[in-house]
Amino acid sequence: MRRRVVVTGIGLVSPHGDSPGAVFDALMEGRSAVARWSAGGAPPALAARAPFEAARWFTRLQLAGVDRVSQIAVAAAESARADAGLDALDERSGIYVGTGMGGASAIDEAFARHAESGRVPPLTVPAFMPNAPAAHIAMRAKVHGPVLTYSIACASSAVAIAEAAKAIAAGEVECALAGGSEALLVPGAVRAWQALQTLAAPDWEDASQACRPFALDRSGLVLGEGAAFLLLEPFDAAKARGARVYAELAGSGVSCDATHLTKPDVAGQVRALFSALRAGGLSPADVGYCNAHGTATRAGDVVECEALAQVWGDDIGGLAVSSTKSMHGHLLGAAGALEAAITVLALERRAIPPNMHCASQDPACRVPLVREPQTRAPRLGAAISNSFAFGGTNAVLAFRRCD
Amino acid sequence: MSTLEELKQLIHKTFGIDTAALKADAPLEDYGLDSLSLAELLFAIEEHFDVDLPDSRSGVNTLAGLAALIDDLRTPKAA
Repeated sequence: MRRRVVVTGIGLVSPHGDSPGAVFDALMEGRSAVARWSAGGAPPALAARAPFEAARWFTRLQLAGVDRVSQIAVAAAESARADAGLDALDERSGIYVGTGMGGASAIDEAFARHAESGRVPPLTVPAFMPNAPAAHIAMRAKVHGPVLTYSIACASSAVAIAEAAKAIAAGEVECALAGGSEALLVPGAVRAWQALQTLAAPDWEDASQACRPFALDRSGLVLGEGAAFLLLEPFDAAKARGARVYAELAGSGVSCDATHLTKPDVAGQVRALFSALRAGGLSPADVGYCNAHGTATRAGDVVECEALAQVWGDDIGGLAVSSTKSMHGHLLGAAGALEAAITVLALERRAIPPNMHCASQDPACRVPLVREPQTRAPRLGAAISNSFAFGGTNAVLAFRRCD
Repeated sequence: MSTLEELKQLIHKTFGIDTAALKADAPLEDYGLDSLSLAELLFAIEEHFDVDLPDSRSGVNTLAGLAALIDDLRTPKAA
């Protein structure tokens, strides 16, 4: 029999800090963490960097061959475990991690040194391999069950969470740390994103307002950095140990457009949305909030709104929508996990973080946007988080309050 | 500064280990170095001292041994 799966722990290393409560408060106030970024001779860019003190989590010796993407993953995962009040995990636990790029700092340094001197650091490979974050979490938490990595661009960590929940529901594991990590704010990677022509036009006067999802004057995404993890476990186990339950992960839906490598597609997103609702036993009218993918690209935002409109139909008026990327930027492989955490906190607090920097909503984006800070939603019972990836994979997570 | 002292400073800089805790004749594992951190240390030594450590360093497992090897490699060879 399929078991119910709940969220009992949240751990973050995010552009708004590492305390889930404080991060949510900052978002409710509409505070943006986007700022000017520059390094290593790359042209200046805008980005939302996550403040992080490695020394709180690692000795210098432990840091040998550990890329920033793994460092913040360990910190966020350990925080989620501690937040759930669990001292130890075991062989019946699993780790499910999403990352888009892996160890970008290690790659960047190796390629730079290859070009300069030909002397490349010996731990480059174990530092950049995409499954390094999961392996480091496993070693730290002593998890001996499945330790898996999902690399599905911007849907990586949403899929990781969906897969973890399925494994718990099926009884394959008793507990999972599921989330994602991304840390690619290094000169070579930022240059690659600039070359792709999808980044928001830099507004040096007020960098913090550069990401404008669903706005008429939106001009692209802003890169973010961070890690986010959820501790997932069966509902019955959480109740039995008296754990605080943030919300139930009611269901998930995953689909692939299979039409274009980078251009999103309404039909594929509609399939993922329907599938998540069906898996969660939810009808559109039950869902009061959608944390949108909303990257603020010209094409992407319109497609997402069209997909929501098709699925919600006449019930669209009851769906409050916001893209919190307007404040924390696009965490790529970690975006789904950070936004899942925000969605869970929105349910727990019955409050909806705003879609900032949208003075004039694009008429082609016809969804009920929440644009005001401090919006309360006293009857909020269920919410979804959308993650739509390059490569065409769409992932939707549906959460429900556990009252 | 002697090579041994320079090596201790380098280890301190690389791994944050207190130089006072570093003994000339103790096995490197005693400081918590595993095969990965040792690889990083050897790379740092090559960079710092501008030497090429031979692939086989059999028997060299102490700071004194490493310092002697570095001195040997840095000594100009007679033609």
